[in-house]
Amino acid sequence: MPIVLIPPPYRGPTGGQERIEVAANTVRACIEAVEAAHPGFLPQVFAADGEPHKFVKLFVNGDQSPPEAEVAEGDEVEVLAAIAGG
Amino acid sequence: MFDDRLIRVDMTNLTATAEPYPEAWKLLGGRALSARILLEECDPQCDPLGPDNILVMAPGVMSGTAAPTSGRISIGGKSPLTGGIKEANAGGNPGQDLMKLGYRAVVVKGQPADANKRYALEVRKDSLEVVEADDTKGMWNYALIEHLATKYAETASFISIGPAGEMKLSGASVACTDADQARRPARHAARGGLGAVMGSKGLKFVMIDPEKTPVRRPDDAKPFFAHTKAYTKGFQDSPKANMFKFGTSSIVPVANMLNTFPYKNRTEGQSPDVATLEGARIVESFETRGGGMHNCMTGCVVQCSNIVHDADGNYKTSALEFETLTLLGANCGIASWEDVADLDRLCDEIGLDTIETGAAIAIFMDSGEMEFGDAEGAKRILHEIAEGTELGKAIGNGAVSIGKRQKHARVPVAKGQALPAWDPRPLKATGVTYCSSPMGGDHTAGLIVNPGMPPEQFAQASQESQLINAACDSSGFCQFLQPTMPEIAEFYSVLYGEAVTREQVADIGWQCLLDEWKFNEGAGFTAADDVLPACITDEGIGPDHSLKFDVAADIVAQAKAERFPEREELWTTKATG
Ligand code: SF4
Repeated sequence: MPIVLIPPPYRGPTGGQERIEVAANTVRACIEAVEAAHPGFLPQVFAADGEPHKFVKLFVNGDQSPPEAEVAEGDEVEVLAAIAGG
Repeated sequence: MFDDRLIRVDMTNLTATAEPYPEAWKLLGGRALSARILLEECDPQCDPLGPDNILVMAPGVMSGTAAPTSGRISIGGKSPLTGGIKEANAGGNPGQDLMKLGYRAVVVKGQPADANKRYALEVRKDSLEVVEADDTKGMWNYALIEHLATKYAETASFISIGPAGEMKLSGASVACTDADQARRPARHAARGGLGAVMGSKGLKFVMIDPEKTPVRRPDDAKPFFAHTKAYTKGFQDSPKANMFKFGTSSIVPVANMLNTFPYKNRTEGQSPDVATLEGARIVESFETRGGGMHNCMTGCVVQCSNIVHDADGNYKTSALEFETLTLLGANCGIASWEDVADLDRLCDEIGLDTIETGAAIAIFMDSGEMEFGDAEGAKRILHEIAEGTELGKAIGNGAVSIGKRQKHARVPVAKGQALPAWDPRPLKATGVTYCSSPMGGDHTAGLIVNPGMPPEQFAQASQESQLINAACDSSGFCQFLQPTMPEIAEFYSVLYGEAVTREQVADIGWQCLLDEWKFNEGAGFTAADDVLPACITDEGIGPDHSLKFDVAADIVAQAKAERFPEREELWTTKATG
């Protein structure tokens, strides 16, 4: 199963979990699967129009990928949120 | 290898001399060096604005070299705001220029007999001199630098204070000129009132002219330049590098989502004005007005600093950061980023910390004397600070000062210093940093943005973050490069041509914290000071106002009691501020 890597700022809904295995075959479906188990996660990733927030980038195995990108067994789906101090 | 020296300035006798820099301190720079000097030479019980306080200006170890994003400078001293040790870190070029000349620190002691006199320190290749500078008395920072630009070489950079520092206000900052040709005083070592310490010594500005001195390099420069090139390429090629290409202002929406975009003196964690305060509006303005992103110091590859223009296309301010948009914007109920830009410029002109000043204005508003959202009123207050009115001074002296004047209880501070935007209620591990750090309410001491972290991890996570940030602020690397300790160790190794381990870098960070805690102990701090006020522990924000800072005192104590055993996460933890 693909694994979703949760960035530290988004671990509120996941109760601190960093890696979550999901049964899904696209990036979007992976995020939706995390949402099903941990409500509140998806709105942190996708805006109301269904597209990723401007401050979020999605990666599959280190390559930046769109939400519709397909994923397979063992793939790592990484959500990155632009966070620094300031 | 390096013919390094230390500048000693005696403001009582108005002399400046150079002495050899101790070989044993070669891996000490920036914050760690400042802490060591203050612990060894400054009476922690001294009056922060008296002759016995010491002002330290210490570039990081890598400053002045070609290493990327590495020229930061630490300003240190006993803080008039917290009463404890303080380090505030700034970009711009003074750190680079001091180190190109081999000056590892400027240590300023004493006080002139006549408090009405103003002086300057001139640092040149072959000379050091304290000179009279009465003609600059009372000048605002931008006018001062424009004046100095006509007087000194175009290769010079400047460290200066505005009227707030001259008035010895506890919210006063120390300005450093940026890397742009105009040399704007836009980079501030803002926190803790160190501008007041500089003002108490009658020191209006420092001029550093390295002329055409090349970057600092080891005798065997090849490995150093090869490593620098490879690291820079790796950073630039990383898809993650451009996450910050529009600077910290782009964080506003995500911070709001996480309930850490304080509104109206922190009575809420979210603002309804995100759309008019977020960085995207600033980026859009680049199209029509000009301005854009730049590097605040020579050699920065992150380039997170914005230059903001007004509607007529003229320069207004730089850099308009997340913290400023929060404290002078949302936290004051001010909805327009353009008003915040005006306030930011005024703070830079007068020489004020935007966090402390924004928090103080919000407390004033919360006390009922001014409406939240009154941007013009806030600007008037800043003018009052420059004029030195009674109200101006009360606000210029920071959050605690105006809280006392207004007899208002909601004063969100840690160790007397206003809390930054990052709120300790959703981000409890960051709250542990605010409580346990020698720096008080300062996110650059150890920010942890992980609202899901379980309580049993707070102490170790806070300690590790404090440790890497202390190591980073000692290295000269900017926290926004987000280096790890193994990366810092690699750079030290190629600079000095000898193996420097990640453990040594961690030890430097830890020793820095120990030195600072010891100084504070000498100043009279106890565990009773390692707390947050009732407005943070009892008043909730977020859903149903349920988010409160409810971390047990023993967890806070663990973060500083003793060093946690090393674990793998320590080496992957990135500096972040
Ligand atoms: S990353 Fe930003 S703050 Fe840091 S040195 Fe570069 S421009 Fe300045």
